[in-house]
Amino acid sequence: MISHPVPPARTYVLVWVALLALLLVTLGSAYVPLGRINAAINLAIAATKALLVVFFFMHLRSAHSMLRIAATAGFFWLAILVGLSLTDFAVRY
Amino acid sequence: MAEAVIVARQFDDAEQQRRASDLGMWVFLATEILFFGGLFVAYTATRLHDPQAFATASRLTNVTLGSINTGVLLTSSLTMALAVRATKLGLRRASIGFLCATAALGIAFLGIKFTEYVRDWHERLVPVLNFAHVGPHAGGVETFFYLYFFTTGLHAIHLIIGIATVAVVATMAARRRFSPDYFTPVELTGLYWHLVDVVWIFLYPLLYLVART
Repeated sequence: MISHPVPPARTYVLVWVALLALLLVTLGSAYVPLGRINAAINLAIAATKALLVVFFFMHLRSAHSMLRIAATAGFFWLAILVGLSLTDFAVRY
Repeated sequence: MAEAVIVARQFDDAEQQRRASDLGMWVFLATEILFFGGLFVAYTATRLHDPQAFATASRLTNVTLGSINTGVLLTSSLTMALAVRATKLGLRRASIGFLCATAALGIAFLGIKFTEYVRDWHERLVPVLNFAHVGPHAGGVETFFYLYFFTTGLHAIHLIIGIATVAVVATMAARRRFSPDYFTPVELTGLYWHLVDVVWIFLYPLLYLVART
């Protein structure tokens, strides 16, 4: 029998509590007039929530390095897609 | 303990076979990230082009239902993670229970989303079919709602596929197909479910929270 690391249920519950707390923070921050900072806060919180899901629920924290490379590659190519597409906007406005 | 794991000829052992499945799933998820990524780029480009229109349009979305739905989906990710954990530990009943809870929360999400669509229809916000918003930014507002329906619709299709897959693995669990040595279908379904959750995590602020002040 192969042993697979199984985190305690408490870890998952704590991640879920953190996700719901971040949801309330992002919702609340939207009602505070901060101009462009609002969008930055929203995106930073979304990225934090996504990392919590990917690292804990999708087990990337304890995953084989091959999986981490595959996952990182997906987001790396996304960064190229977004970055190169927006160069046009950086010089036009 | 269920029967021993069947290892396909090309693999050295069950562990290598399991890793290959995980890797294949992550490569598929990378294509999904880029698939939705194109839509996020379209969103960003059009929003930079007319930020006022996106602020106006975002105020027309239903932030209460959108926020509740985000909570529902985040909770479904918790039950999904607990289902995978229970399966790995060989807790069959808990595994089936958590899988059913996950599917139920997914269906609840779709129900709330459908309610929102009905309200959007009555507020005449559906491009092509009945869009009737007027004002200085009407064109940009319509573009926002094109993206709103396309992204949330595509997300809903992914969620329907996720619910169907969860139902299949729940049935497999009920037929004692999994053991602490073999749980790949549950694990891969979990990865898919969480990725659909991640897509929504980004859609939520971009559609509902552009300008609430």
